[in-house]
Amino acid sequence: MANKKLRRTGMLPELCDRLDRHQIKTCQDFLSLGPLELMREAGQSYQQVQTLLHTVSLACAPTMVTALELRDRQSHVFFPTSLRGLDAVLHGGLASGTLTEITGPSGCGKSQFCMMLSVLATLPRTMGGLDSSVLYIDTESAFCAERLVEIAQNRFPKYFSLQERVVEMAQKIHLFRELTCQNVLKRLGGLEEEIISKKAGLVIIDSIASVVRKEFDTSIPGNLSERSSLLSQEAATLKYLAEEFSIPVVLTNQITTHLSRKGTAPSHLECNVPEGKESPVSADGESGYVTAALGNTWSHSVNTRLIVQYLDSQRRQIIVAKSPIAPFSVFNYTVQNSGLELEDGENQAGSSHQGTDPGLQPIRVRTAFNYCLTHTTPTSSHSTGVH
Amino acid sequence: MQRDVASFAFAPAVKVRLISAGFLTAKDIRDLRPTELSKEAGISQQEALEVLQEVRRGPAEQGAAESRLTALELLEREQALCTVITFCSALDQALGGGVPMGKTTEICGAPGVGKTQLCIQLAVDAQIPGCFGGMGGQAVYIDTEGSFLVERAVDVATAAVQHCTLITKDTEQREALQSFTVETVLSQLFLFRCHDYVELLAQTHLLPDFLSQHPKVRLVVIDSIAFPFRHSFEDLSLRTRLLNGLAQQLIQIASQHSVAVVLTNQMTTRIGQNQSMLVPALGESWGHAATQRLILHWEGKHRFASLYKSPSQREATVPYQITPLGFRDVQLPDPSVTPADPSPTPGRYSRKRPRGEEGDPSDA
Repeated sequence: MANKKLRRTGMLPELCDRLDRHQIKTCQDFLSLGPLELMREAGQSYQQVQTLLHTVSLACAPTMVTALELRDRQSHVFFPTSLRGLDAVLHGGLASGTLTEITGPSGCGKSQFCMMLSVLATLPRTMGGLDSSVLYIDTESAFCAERLVEIAQNRFPKYFSLQERVVEMAQKIHLFRELTCQNVLKRLGGLEEEIISKKAGLVIIDSIASVVRKEFDTSIPGNLSERSSLLSQEAATLKYLAEEFSIPVVLTNQITTHLSRKGTAPSHLECNVPEGKESPVSADGESGYVTAALGNTWSHSVNTRLIVQYLDSQRRQIIVAKSPIAPFSVFNYTVQNSGLELEDGENQAGSSHQGTDPGLQPIRVRTAFNYCLTHTTPTSSHSTGVH
Repeated sequence: MQRDVASFAFAPAVKVRLISAGFLTAKDIRDLRPTELSKEAGISQQEALEVLQEVRRGPAEQGAAESRLTALELLEREQALCTVITFCSALDQALGGGVPMGKTTEICGAPGVGKTQLCIQLAVDAQIPGCFGGMGGQAVYIDTEGSFLVERAVDVATAAVQHCTLITKDTEQREALQSFTVETVLSQLFLFRCHDYVELLAQTHLLPDFLSQHPKVRLVVIDSIAFPFRHSFEDLSLRTRLLNGLAQQLIQIASQHSVAVVLTNQMTTRIGQNQSMLVPALGESWGHAATQRLILHWEGKHRFASLYKSPSQREATVPYQITPLGFRDVQLPDPSVTPADPSPTPGRYSRKRPRGEEGDPSDA
């Protein structure tokens, strides 16, 4: 409500005209000034300026709601990811009205996860879906429609055995390809109207990091703060949309190498130390480890952070690194025809009350490229070999 | 009363006319009638009347009522003020009983370390009835980030109510427990969702009125104050000015309405000579804004809270953890209790009563 024009706040029209001449037109302009300046520009006494501040504040302040009303409204729907262990820990799934970030090295399954979520969102509510359309903003051209259909048909073979259902599902996923920062911003600006017109229930941005990292060279002074500012702005817009329409927003991020002094890298995390591989140590005693990209400010902006990383040549892990509801948890999974599948049983690394800074959590990258010389002939382009 | 006319809070145009008509001090104006003043100074009769009313008000009415106290009166007042406990006895001890009322406390921390969790815990703890060591008040929660999930608040409230049920000893406590249920806790937690800094400023202007209408509020949480100010601000001096104004208003609200004000801040990366460090965001001048500053940080796998700035407590670092029940002490492994047992042992948390009364001895 910051852009509410002063005329609509109930202020006297002559006063509004006078302030208009000094370029004070909206509530934002009015509240950004101190009382002395307001006295001068409005030509009013101190007491009168206080009354005016009160009027303007009433016009743009948020309404109060008690926690009880919020709970009873049940507007918070949790979107199940169909990975049962993960959903259990997250109290049902991805929380609507919040930003969920999936970050990890390349090839780990982030885009696969996003495509799987798109399929799930189009399913009817009885099957755990949101029965709505999906807005998918793709900046890396990683979205593959054939893979989408393959995931759908393998994950829900009975439901998608009818061709019309496949067509219906595919029609509900709206894809936007944006390749520059400006275009992404413009698209976010127009997203509100898209959500309303297409009745979207899920927004996916894959990935938010690629365009930003392409265009902002952080070694140039000033670029780092500009980039943080841009990202914070995007986060604020997305949060507003998520809350306004009560939908989950999923973003993917990339990784970067964090250089730190030798000995301060958190190498004592048992479940995350690379097997037998130390972090690369450079000549002057600095060691680096891989962590989520886009910096510390961005880590603050997202509400939930899920990190995917490699465990060994076949298996990957998904870690709940930051969540307002869930403790730090690790799950093993593999990527199959039907999308992501959690391993069950004793292989779960479990949850704990400890954890690490989600901005500094080391991420294990692919250490060896096993060229799959196996005897099973791959039936589709995405088979990941035997297990 | 030789006060200068220029120092009064009149409209600028009126002030200019009075001074150019030769009225330089309050004494010159005081004995005139409104019609005389309006003719001599060339202002309207309504304005002249307002000027005279302002000038004739005695010094006690001109807003100087609060400022004179002896230290003894202040000591008595301080002892009557309670604190909001955090359910982590180590942290409560470091803070001198908990988060103090009448002061602003800032909580900084890296992402994911537990700032929102602590805020939710405090919002529930402020409502604990007096006979259990709490304040029995209501809480205001201003959310600027969208991290407040009501399901988590339900979990924390349920755990707090269960804990009090376990330690109920006498009839007074049993009666108090009737009105301390999850439903009442949630209904007395007032939420405001501010999407940008303008809404935050507006809400802070309206907060004194809200607190007057709801006199039982004892805690105001702003989570976080950093997020709306960290983007879309090209003019950093404007940001500093707005933040200072905000800090002043909050300090005033805290002391006038006897509430504890808790602000959450984020961390930012500062590039040093050859390394980068995480420091609290919003700049150096913001460091002076809050009365107390608590920094939450990670050391390896564990979370620690450090008290960095306090007028009455010394610096301390204590460990804590976030459990499904909320913000708690780090429980040292007890051989008689299995590690998977999440129930809090009764009596482990010191129940801080107002200073001056006999409190339960906290765990050694």
